[in-house]
Amino acid sequence: MNELRRDPVTGRWIIVFSDKIPKFSDFKVEPHVKNNANCPFCWGKESETPAEIIAHRKYGPPNSPNWTVRVVPNKFPALKIEGDLDREGIGVFDMMNGVGAHEVMIDTPDHFRDMGSLSHVETEEAVWAYLARSIDLKRDKRFKYILIFKNYGKSAGASLEHPHSQLIALPIVPKRVHEEIEGAAKYYEYKERCVFCDMIREEKEEKDRIIYEDEKFLAFCPYVSRFTYEVWILPKRHQSDFSNMDRDCVPCFARALRDSLARIKTLLSDPPYNFIIHTSPINGHEREDYHWHVEIMPKLSKVAGFEWGSGFYINPVPPDIAAKNLLSVHIEEK
Amino acid sequence: MPELRKDPVIGRWVIIATDRAKRPDQFSSSAVEKEELAAGEKCPFCEGNESLTPPEIYALRKPGGTPNGPGWSVRVIPSISPLLHIEGNLDRHGHGMYDLMNARGAHEIIIETPQHLVEGQLSKEQIISSINVILSRIQDLERDPGIKYVLMFKNYGKAAGGGHIKHARTQIIGTPVNLKRVKEELAGTKTYYDYKERCIFCDILKQEMAAQKRVIADSKYFIAIAPFASRFPFETWILPKEHSCDFYKIDRDRIPDFVELSRLVFGKTRKAIGDFPFNFVLHTAPFRRDIAKRDYWETIDYDYHWHFEILPILTRVAGFEWGSGFYINPLPPEDACKYVKEAQI
Repeated sequence: MNELRRDPVTGRWIIVFSDKIPKFSDFKVEPHVKNNANCPFCWGKESETPAEIIAHRKYGPPNSPNWTVRVVPNKFPALKIEGDLDREGIGVFDMMNGVGAHEVMIDTPDHFRDMGSLSHVETEEAVWAYLARSIDLKRDKRFKYILIFKNYGKSAGASLEHPHSQLIALPIVPKRVHEEIEGAAKYYEYKERCVFCDMIREEKEEKDRIIYEDEKFLAFCPYVSRFTYEVWILPKRHQSDFSNMDRDCVPCFARALRDSLARIKTLLSDPPYNFIIHTSPINGHEREDYHWHVEIMPKLSKVAGFEWGSGFYINPVPPDIAAKNLLSVHIEEK
Repeated sequence: MPELRKDPVIGRWVIIATDRAKRPDQFSSSAVEKEELAAGEKCPFCEGNESLTPPEIYALRKPGGTPNGPGWSVRVIPSISPLLHIEGNLDRHGHGMYDLMNARGAHEIIIETPQHLVEGQLSKEQIISSINVILSRIQDLERDPGIKYVLMFKNYGKAAGGGHIKHARTQIIGTPVNLKRVKEELAGTKTYYDYKERCIFCDILKQEMAAQKRVIADSKYFIAIAPFASRFPFETWILPKEHSCDFYKIDRDRIPDFVELSRLVFGKTRKAIGDFPFNFVLHTAPFRRDIAKRDYWETIDYDYHWHFEILPILTRVAGFEWGSGFYINPLPPEDACKYVKEAQI
């Protein structure tokens, strides 16, 4: 019999299949045929993007090649950096100007290697860019939330092939974040413990959903996975704001992220995916009841996650089986 | 300047990216694929292939026909791959810090025509009979105390989660718990009611009728609007003009009017953007039995307003948006409304 599992944070119920677990061949992944001709994110094409915000390069002036990671404003931003919010009401409706930052972080100069095929050191570079941009944008008083995410593959919403991540600084706290924070706060109020710290303890005790562990980070397929082969990465030490990560945690985080993505890539033949860094809203202080983390959501089947359609997330692969399969593949140590 | 708009019911902010606004032909959907049946595969929903489905729950057939034989006009079967099963107990329990239960509930398919036709090809009469059957099914499920809510939806096209067989049908799922999406909406309408003592949807209707910027079409009893904080290009809501929280208690005389308006809206949208993949979802109040006493549902009859949402799946950004709950819509609903209104059928 299928199971209904309740997300301890948001209270959402999810259907997990136990009757008929689909075979790998049921997840058809459209092959990525990559082509770097006309890619504005490759070395030598710096003039085709808006002027860079920051970049790591050993030598050479801004907006020249030889960088290892480069951050530019999005050429087609969903939100614009200039202007005021001008909140207003029109009858029952509320609105404001779309003020915000929308930046593109080009993770690597290599057009053909996504994060799952980068080395740990290369991944670290991208993480440094995430942190540097978060810390800078946190200072802008108009912003309430910084959303860092990656869309990989066309069906996950990536419009350009070249490996990149995105950052959106928002003047509001997105609904899903608000819900998550509220759910975590409720749990804290009841138990006086962080729900994510409890999750880490529970996962470590049960062991069968863990796919990566080092002294600072834990990656696992959550008990209440909404998506097939969903993976979460959590820092073991309680911390609510991603941008407060200690410097000595960065290499471990990069390794956890890269290894998890490499496992997904190897096992599922390079599927499209999204990952999102969940962190607390900008308010200047660490909170006891929230815990930053990364959620990786491979986009594998049409059965998975059409919540707006039916109100249910449906996950056809139980997370302990997903974890076992992810662990079974050999990934290169880079 | 792009705009951030707040959904007044759920409180969800949506970016309406006015600068990136696209013309309707940029959404034209090559996305609705041709049907590809495997060699030797027969459509289990067609008349004559009744033996390919589980035994029927109900069928509308002329007198003298036999169950699970031909001669029906609308047929209800349990889902071939059910998400929830009607047998067994819920058996709620804990697993460490986690909670779970058995997936008990109902998952039924309403086959809307014995012929191999898609949604857009059905006659008005055929749709009216299907809706009548759906209403009877919901009324029947209400008698099962283990079912708290009935989801009714249609997934059309692969991108929207529709199966590869294209035969007009609707799914209903009777769930043993109230879904998060539903609870959120109910909490939103209740908060508004507590503050204003008015139904928020009734207020939206009045405002849209007065402004006429987002009204796609209306009829005597129903109205179709492009919602202010549309998450998707060409998102459309169809609401009854008269306040009511339960779809299944609809006055059956109003169904032809509803069907006419829906056909008009779908027809015009198809004219504007071509055949498009979509989810069509009913939003209605949960069953209220003895729990009606619970104070948070005390005002549900007054604060909630049933409606249908048509969610076209035209953009590819879904994965990120599922995860973050944050939507970017490249087409302002006022423009979508204009395109659909101007389409001639």
